[in-house]
Amino acid sequence: MKATIERATLLKGLSHVQSVVERRNTIPILSNVLIEAAAGGGLKLMATDLDLQIVETVDAAVDTPGATTVSAHTLFDIVRKLPEGAQVQLTAAEGKMLVTGGRARFNLSTLPRDDFPVIAEGDLPTKFDLPAATLRQIVDKTRFAISTEETRYYLNGIYLHASEEGSDGPVLKAAATDGHRLARMTVAQPQGAAGMPGVIIPRKCVAELRKLLDEVDGSVEVSLSSTKIRFGLGQAILTSKLIDGTFPDYSRVIPTGNDKLLKIDPKSFMEGVDRVATIASEKTRAVKMTLDRDKIILSVTSPENGTAAEEVPGDYTSLGFDIGFNARYLMDILGQIEGDSVEVHLADAAAPTLIREGEKAPALYVLMPMRV
Amino acid sequence: MTDQPPAPGAPARRIIHVDMDAFYASVEQRDDPALRGRPVAVGGSRERGVVAAASYEARTFGVRSAMPSVTARRLCPDLVFVRPRFEVYRDVSRQIRAIFARYTALIEPLSLDEAYLDVTEDIAGMGSATATALAIRAAIKEETGLTASAGISYNKFIAKIASDQNKPDGQCVITPARGPDFVAALPVKRFHGVGPKTAEKMTRLGIASGADLRARSRDWLLANFGSWGSYLHDAARGLDDRPVRPDRIRKSVGAENTFFTDLRGPTELLEALDGIVETVWPRIEASRSRGRTVTLKVKYDDFRQITRARSFAEPIASRAQFAEAGKMLMLALCPVERPVRLLGLTLSALDQPGDPVAAQLGLGL
Repeated sequence: MKATIERATLLKGLSHVQSVVERRNTIPILSNVLIEAAAGGGLKLMATDLDLQIVETVDAAVDTPGATTVSAHTLFDIVRKLPEGAQVQLTAAEGKMLVTGGRARFNLSTLPRDDFPVIAEGDLPTKFDLPAATLRQIVDKTRFAISTEETRYYLNGIYLHASEEGSDGPVLKAAATDGHRLARMTVAQPQGAAGMPGVIIPRKCVAELRKLLDEVDGSVEVSLSSTKIRFGLGQAILTSKLIDGTFPDYSRVIPTGNDKLLKIDPKSFMEGVDRVATIASEKTRAVKMTLDRDKIILSVTSPENGTAAEEVPGDYTSLGFDIGFNARYLMDILGQIEGDSVEVHLADAAAPTLIREGEKAPALYVLMPMRV
Repeated sequence: MTDQPPAPGAPARRIIHVDMDAFYASVEQRDDPALRGRPVAVGGSRERGVVAAASYEARTFGVRSAMPSVTARRLCPDLVFVRPRFEVYRDVSRQIRAIFARYTALIEPLSLDEAYLDVTEDIAGMGSATATALAIRAAIKEETGLTASAGISYNKFIAKIASDQNKPDGQCVITPARGPDFVAALPVKRFHGVGPKTAEKMTRLGIASGADLRARSRDWLLANFGSWGSYLHDAARGLDDRPVRPDRIRKSVGAENTFFTDLRGPTELLEALDGIVETVWPRIEASRSRGRTVTLKVKYDDFRQITRARSFAEPIASRAQFAEAGKMLMLALCPVERPVRLLGLTLSALDQPGDPVAAQLGLGL
């Protein structure tokens, strides 16, 4: 194999690929990137952790087609340090790969390409296109709520499912929850998504997808079965196994009868929460909200640090009461609100609270209070 | 939460250590006249069983608690094995604590059958700690039909050793004046925390008695026994300022099981683990404990023991979560390197009842 490629092009490709590679691996070849030089020109870079696989095609001049595998992180670090504008030459022969760029030469150990594991995609019967911007929103508005608790592995991802019951026609819904809060995003159902199985996209796939989405305009091709999902993002193809579990019926925890409505500016609300939470105990991050007619007081009482309070303006006409929230959870949600007003639908201090921009807003959040 | 050392010049404390005599076995002999006067062992008689308690008749044959049942039977072929009835022991234990409570509010139970009492403040007007101990033992005999022994001294360490001095059905007083000599004469294995291994190490270092320990400097003890050396230094001088803690809090809830035959396959190990979850979870629920750390204990057939723990951000909230955590820890050890003789599962890092209750509520998903 012999190929020549612009440093910046290779670096960008490798940066996508190397983040799929786990830092620590018990199987040596999983630390490697598979480099395949095609006869017609172009390099295919591929990495996997056995659950998630990325294949990225980059422009390159190929002298001799062929393939090999080398340490992804090492190659990435090398290319990163090569001088800007350098032409990088990759030459693989006899168990080594020679990397030259500028005046530097690296002779790297390789592992045989035939040992490189590939995720068998199988049949992916559901296929639809989503605008990259829409997919970005879906991820941004839900991913913060993904659980990190491994014992509840079925919550370790975003649940994507189709529904025919939207008020404006069929929809695609994405939901994530950690058992304390729930985030749901609803978008118009794309052609081809009808009848798709509900799937749970693992957290790591979501993270890699989000990075790649920053570099894509236009649309993303989504293909899936009940066990695998593939995202076609221009030059990159991300394929992931899906979480094999049942996502709980989350719709039953979305409150429908919360009769106390607070309308508030999300920005000043969030800033106020952030300020008073400065002294909240690291463990609980509890912030108390005292609601009174058009008067909202945020406060924190910390046995170690003292007390803090801030009044924030808001529209509220129902019966006054106190309710506690985890400041971080509240800020995660408020950080996703784009408009200048947010609706907080409350019931009581122990009931789920609904947060959304308005009835028609595509995103909806449910937050359980804290007992304070 | 710091323990105040006693102020200099403060009057000596009066501490009683009450220890029931052969507790489980005595309860069994009390409730079944046929067992009286016979060597009785409470515990499993099966191949892998362990003696939980032995009656005094059994002890004359050398039967001891924690001894494998097989060994016990070899020492005493007429030994009668009785299955433990923990419910009954717990009831008796409650009765005994109610008796203690008549004499002091400072009660620190160590287990079902022993407790430290601080009777410095003589609320019952008994006149002396010795009289209080006599009254308590008489009440125990009267109300439960069982005997107890007591050690009376000016700190917990000496009181505990003293309660063993005139067992069964006796008591022993060690005054502050006699304390140092009493401790000096003790063989090191009577010191708290000195097991067979440490005793061996001490023998190697030429330490056989409390007097030998006292001859060593604090620095020397620290160098040889780590931070524990400081305790040894004080204990050898009869000093121990640990207070009697009535609010001693539970640190963990767990259970373990020694198997009839050693286990090897993941399926049988997970099944066995399920059985332990079955035992532990009701205890966790009963104690209303909320813990964040799950610890798996594994003893291999060569008696080597390892533990693997995992902590979570939130307390374990359900039996399923507890079982899943145990399963993850177990599977991480599979395939097991040797056949497994014992498995245990414990929940710890418990929420303290006194902690501020800023609790995150769940959505119920």
